[in-house]
Amino acid sequence: MRTGAARGQVGHFHEAGFYSSDAEFRALIVPFAEEGIAAGEPVIIGYDDRKNALIRSWLTDLSAVTFPADSGVYATPTRAIAAYRRLFELHVAQGAGQIRITGELPNSGNGGMFDGWDRYEAAVNTVWQDFPVWGLCLYDTATAAPVVRDVVERTHPRIVSPSGVRRASDRFQVVADFEALPPVPDPLEQTSPMIELVDRSAAEARRALAQIGRGQVTDTILDDLLLGVSEAVSNALIHGRPPATVRIWAAPDRIVVSVHDQGRGPADPLAGLVPATGNAATLGLGLWLIHQLDIDVALKHADDGFTVRLRGATTTG
Amino acid sequence: MSGRWHGVPRLLAGGDPGAGLAVMRIIGPVGSYRELGLQDHLCWVHGDRGDYRPHLGEFFRDGLGRGLRVAYLGSGDARMVRKLVGRVAGTGPLRSGKAVRVISFEEFYGAEEPVDPAAVTKRYDAATQEALADGYRGLRIGADMTDLVRAPDRQDAFARCEVLLERYSSRHPLSAMCGYRRELGDAVAQFACLHAAVPAGLTPFQVFACGDGAVGLLGEFDQACQSAFERALRRIEPAPGDSTLIFDLSQIQFMDHHALLSLDSYAETCPVPVVVRSAPPLVRRAARVLGLEHLGHLRPGDL
Repeated sequence: MRTGAARGQVGHFHEAGFYSSDAEFRALIVPFAEEGIAAGEPVIIGYDDRKNALIRSWLTDLSAVTFPADSGVYATPTRAIAAYRRLFELHVAQGAGQIRITGELPNSGNGGMFDGWDRYEAAVNTVWQDFPVWGLCLYDTATAAPVVRDVVERTHPRIVSPSGVRRASDRFQVVADFEALPPVPDPLEQTSPMIELVDRSAAEARRALAQIGRGQVTDTILDDLLLGVSEAVSNALIHGRPPATVRIWAAPDRIVVSVHDQGRGPADPLAGLVPATGNAATLGLGLWLIHQLDIDVALKHADDGFTVRLRGATTTG
Repeated sequence: MSGRWHGVPRLLAGGDPGAGLAVMRIIGPVGSYRELGLQDHLCWVHGDRGDYRPHLGEFFRDGLGRGLRVAYLGSGDARMVRKLVGRVAGTGPLRSGKAVRVISFEEFYGAEEPVDPAAVTKRYDAATQEALADGYRGLRIGADMTDLVRAPDRQDAFARCEVLLERYSSRHPLSAMCGYRRELGDAVAQFACLHAAVPAGLTPFQVFACGDGAVGLLGEFDQACQSAFERALRRIEPAPGDSTLIFDLSQIQFMDHHALLSLDSYAETCPVPVVVRSAPPLVRRAARVLGLEHLGHLRPGDL
């Protein structure tokens, strides 16, 4: 039995709200959480330490509220989707009629990087559809970049205001139509690569990367880059359109790799975010694996083909 | 020689039980057929018989120097073969010397079709035990397998023989150089990958026998060799009486998710539980990311 605004809804009830002060933040989050607590629904809250502390001071009963301690949940969008799915499965198995979850994704306004999270916000409309989830995503208009607001309005079917007014987002795009943000070019990509390999095997790409990357980044990051480039090259050779071109750039403590082919790339808008099944499983599983590593992954669809860009850094990951 | 030396801590049959001999085997790509030990199993690829026989001669000469009985496994006129072996082995014309033997393919591989790998291994064992009983330190075999494996429908049975011989030589004083001619084309790689020692560049991966009964995997396993790896896996069976089958992953340089899934599929159909051990960090990383949802049939010794 679902309660509140999501009463009678099926699957993921995905809302966004914008606030510009702690008072507005409180006006959005307290009714959402208190209503859930009163109904005996699990409430999951994931903000930064300051906001979490504020929320704790505002709520009457914290016994049914979870503050995920593992900040690694938001390490990558793919990991977040998988981690929350496991959490939802647990709560449903324990008899929850609805699960309330609220948080703020990494973006420049809170010191994080929004790259890739636009696809996450689009994807969760679909991939959490199996669960009675009410997701409330709150963004600070004082700090979030305009592009973040644009994405939020296109990925959330509903918008709620601090005064409690709910409306449908007239800019909402279903996941199949969602236009993801183009990856922000890395400055290194504007320079000549250390090496360029055309139509060479994944093994040759790994050897070149190992040679360039050894000592440049930690062994752990290099291993993740090796796994990533191998999967990307295999996909390009099997599913892409030749030529498949691998370029590797290096800077102190940082490696950038791009794998490009002239094909259109995966048609599935969820590629990499969830493990694919059926005929697309081989392609989808490789991309899904890449997206869970401790490296930055960007997919770029363009007129000249499809590119997987991998970035590994010793300091920032 | 670029292969790795593996210490196999076990006793040699016929050796001094108190000595606890650590038998060394060459594992991995090699650049030479020289200096092979008492239990090495080498695949050697060559152009034709004329190219192969001088190598065989050196292999035999080295074996005789190590106190081994050497045997040429082949068909044709025995007298001619004895003369050839005598010449290349540098022992002069052979009359009745027991140190050098010529054994027909039929004697080891039988006349039945398909070849029975277990029966073949028993014959290799009998010949090895006979050499020990006659006072030799073991048996060394050289053979050009090309004509035996040319027909595609015979290749599976002969590949299974190679798996069993690899296992046998890891635990008994049998050393072998299995010759395959290049004219077999791509088929060579499917036999080469089942030897502990292979010429460098012939196969990206190898499946070898560890001295403790585990199956060792060596090299790089990715999508490009996935079907070859799956074919090699299909030829591996648990040893009779073994309650588990252990795969040792310590010599893997790279393994992607395709190979991990292949190993998991193998575990699903294997009649005994499959355990993996000693995975390098990169393999552990890939396995953890894939997770139990996709690797639910492997028992992760230390993944």
